[in-house]
Amino acid sequence: MAKTSLDKKFDRIRDLEEAGKLKSSSGSRALRKLLSNRLAVVGIAIFLVILLSSIFAPLITSHDPQKIDLRSMLQSPSWEHIFGTDRTGRDVFARILYGGRVSILVGLGSALVSASFGVAIGCYSGYRGGWIDTIALRVSEIFMSFPQIILVLLLVSIVGQSLFNLIVIFVISGWGAMYRLARARMLSLREEEYVQALQSFGVSTFKICYKHILPNALGPIMVNVTLTTAMFILAEAGLSFLGLGVPLSIPTWGNILNVAQDLRVLQNNWWMWLPVGAVISLFVLSVNFIGDGLRDSTDPTLQG
Amino acid sequence: MSQQTALSVKDLKTYFYTNKRCNKAVNGVSFDIKKGSTLCIVGESGCGKSVTASTIMQLLPRLSRIEEGSITYNSDAGEIAIHELERDGAEMKRIRGSEIAMIFQDPMTALNPVYTIGFQIAESLQYHTDLNKSQIRARTIELLANMGIPSPEQRVDEYPHHYSGGMRQRAMIAMAMSCNPKILIADEPTTALDVTIQAQIFELMEKLKTENDTAIMLITHDMGVVAELADDVAVMYMGNIVEAGTVDDVLRRPRHPYTKALLESIPVLGRGRSQDIKSIRGATPDPYDRPKGCQFAPRCDFATDACNQMPAEEQLSDTHRVMCWQHEELKQNA
Amino acid sequence: MLTFIVRRLLITLPMMLVISFLVYLGLELTPGDAVSHMIDPEVANEVTPEQLAQLRAAYGLDKSFIERYGIWLVNIVQGNFGHSLSGGVSISAIVLDRLPATLELSVFALLFSTLIGCVLGTISALRRGSATDSTLTVVGMLGVSIPEFFFGLVAILIFALHLNWLPVGGRLMPGDESFIDHLPNIILPGIVLSLMMTAGVMRYSRSAMLDSLSREFIRTARSKGLPEWRINLVHGFRVALTPVVVLIGFRLPTLIGGSVIIEEVFQWPGVGSEFIEAVRGSDYPLVMSIALMSVFAVLMASLIVDVLTALIDPRVRLG
Repeated sequence: MAKTSLDKKFDRIRDLEEAGKLKSSSGSRALRKLLSNRLAVVGIAIFLVILLSSIFAPLITSHDPQKIDLRSMLQSPSWEHIFGTDRTGRDVFARILYGGRVSILVGLGSALVSASFGVAIGCYSGYRGGWIDTIALRVSEIFMSFPQIILVLLLVSIVGQSLFNLIVIFVISGWGAMYRLARARMLSLREEEYVQALQSFGVSTFKICYKHILPNALGPIMVNVTLTTAMFILAEAGLSFLGLGVPLSIPTWGNILNVAQDLRVLQNNWWMWLPVGAVISLFVLSVNFIGDGLRDSTDPTLQG
Repeated sequence: MSQQTALSVKDLKTYFYTNKRCNKAVNGVSFDIKKGSTLCIVGESGCGKSVTASTIMQLLPRLSRIEEGSITYNSDAGEIAIHELERDGAEMKRIRGSEIAMIFQDPMTALNPVYTIGFQIAESLQYHTDLNKSQIRARTIELLANMGIPSPEQRVDEYPHHYSGGMRQRAMIAMAMSCNPKILIADEPTTALDVTIQAQIFELMEKLKTENDTAIMLITHDMGVVAELADDVAVMYMGNIVEAGTVDDVLRRPRHPYTKALLESIPVLGRGRSQDIKSIRGATPDPYDRPKGCQFAPRCDFATDACNQMPAEEQLSDTHRVMCWQHEELKQNA
Repeated sequence: MLTFIVRRLLITLPMMLVISFLVYLGLELTPGDAVSHMIDPEVANEVTPEQLAQLRAAYGLDKSFIERYGIWLVNIVQGNFGHSLSGGVSISAIVLDRLPATLELSVFALLFSTLIGCVLGTISALRRGSATDSTLTVVGMLGVSIPEFFFGLVAILIFALHLNWLPVGGRLMPGDESFIDHLPNIILPGIVLSLMMTAGVMRYSRSAMLDSLSREFIRTARSKGLPEWRINLVHGFRVALTPVVVLIGFRLPTLIGGSVIIEEVFQWPGVGSEFIEAVRGSDYPLVMSIALMSVFAVLMASLIVDVLTALIDPRVRLG
């Protein structure tokens, strides 16, 4: 039989094993698996680059994202303006950097807040059961039967556009999924024997719930936080692109893209929308890579 | 190979390569299974007994392979070297199900939940026999009836979740026996079942053995099962067969400390509460961090300096063999 | 089966009631009422409070909140959603006029993404670890990461503006009558919407398939000596199908959501772009009605999904 590449790999591992060179590695298994996942590492790198350059934007560019300069309108990319300027002469690169601050804040912030709400309610109601659980479940069902963007737009039309409103709206539309996840984990975990042991020791419900069970459900919750962050960043971009998200005066990734609704800009001034679209895609991609890596590393049934 | 041998395994080694490590799950195992008799393979979990079974059927996961050794199957048409066959090749596929069949530990998960029991039994018949549709159906019902399933005409069209655990295992056996295999490999077939159901399943297997001359390889960790069903016994520890022989050889005159310890660790009915039950001290070693010589030495009461070397296999009689430096010691001790 | 559907409907109805109540509440909370919108601001000063009260009474606005909700609900059940604020056109008429365009786009995307997504996901799972698998995984990841409207913009730039192969947007050109005539118009929005959803279906069917292939019954099937295609498709895929159907059902809201933005990008005259116009113009009755209808669509979709799951998976077949 011809040796396949798999066979050769096996031979190599066996030789190393017999030479006693392979050791059981110590440290966190999950972390090790995450770092051995090439896509996750790439994701973490891209994520950090974009995040840090947004935070330290003033160190990277000297342009003011809001400064209107009518003498340098609609300039194509140059050394002075890496991604050119927009219709009022604002530096697009600076706007992308500063816009990242708001977009990431909206995405990550909304995801974390909705996760806290969803998990807090889900853990307690899932563990206690009874009428609290029924009510919470029904309420979440009501919110989840709206298509997300419809619910968000509906709320925007009622409460009006502002950065704070948008985060609140995202939390309202996003807590349900988190709640469901936390509740489902809780329902299975509360049947475990260690929980029954704690109960028989008379440990308080509150303590069992948040101190003893919750940590065991954190893996899937973390995965979901990353995926929700990605979702909210996309949602912010979509809403602002439509002119219905963050008020246009604040630079965000979506607001920068807003100009591309104009076909002339779309065709002639690619630098005004293509780079920012690419940045959004890259950032969301990196978050998704991290989320997937986390999922694989926290799932003990996967080997490889 | 004598005509009486159905399957002969010689110095078989199967290694696993998961998580970038090499686990020598089966590390040089030899045994024969005779027609119309039962070979029991006993051992703690993780000793390689299930892997041995999977290797014979070539049902190994992707990240594993047969390193050395031979598996020879004595078919009606002559000897077949299974270890040389392609893992999922046509010949291997032909042998699986029709010549060598297998039943698994948990009948709850081993049956596909979305197909009827009848469909799943009929599948084997469809691929291994020339029967037409109505013959297949008749045969399926007959098989279920033979396994003692009540009103098989209706039961054949029911789904696994309509069956109780014991009935599912019967259905599994019906499936395995559908093409009259020469060898039946049963991997802990009753571990997931009630004790009363266990007895029924074993009775069924006993019947199959005597009526069809089937060779049975039964994997278990239960010495009671061995005493009841086995003709031959092989005791496995950490990928080796440490002691093998007829059921009398091994159960009455154990010559390996591990076998002896296993036998002493089970309570015997009728001896009352005062009986001396010994557990085996320590735990099975990490397969990636094995002891140097005899794998059992760190847990063994008889261990000496000699045990830092791997003992060779020693033939004590025609049937009885053991892998231990101290087997003479145990003879006097017994 | 029928009892199953009826029971499912009985669970859905109270949900619809509660949601309709909330929507009506929202409508009440928004500034102005039907009468104040009817009166031209130019003449607003000349209208006496008595006249206003008369008008309100004529429209039943003087009744209590619960009564008004009841009347509104009865109207809706009869298909009367009231009138839009801009132009006073009947909302049912607006939606009915726009619905075919939306359905056309959604059905196209749903069929395309389900078919392609399942096939690619299954291939990816069967070739786990191969170059094909890694490529598909990364492509799928890109698919769920790129904002769909951005993807749409790039598609317009390349295929409509530069290559001039396809129209920039719109659905029917003047004079276009048959389906063939507007086929070029649906290709871009249809493909863009589908590709985004295909990525999701593909990723999910891959993991469902991997999960199914790791189950014990696969080993049983293999131990019976069945051919590989039968093990993978008849046993593996069939079991993976249930979660995939459930997922596609859950993704329907996303599809509706996605179509809102895609319709806007491609100026596709569907319900979605109408909805955005309504939100922009603060046309509350129209916004609420469309939202309510979308919820109805989602609930119906999940009902259909449940029925489908019951058909596919014998374990959930309820009496």
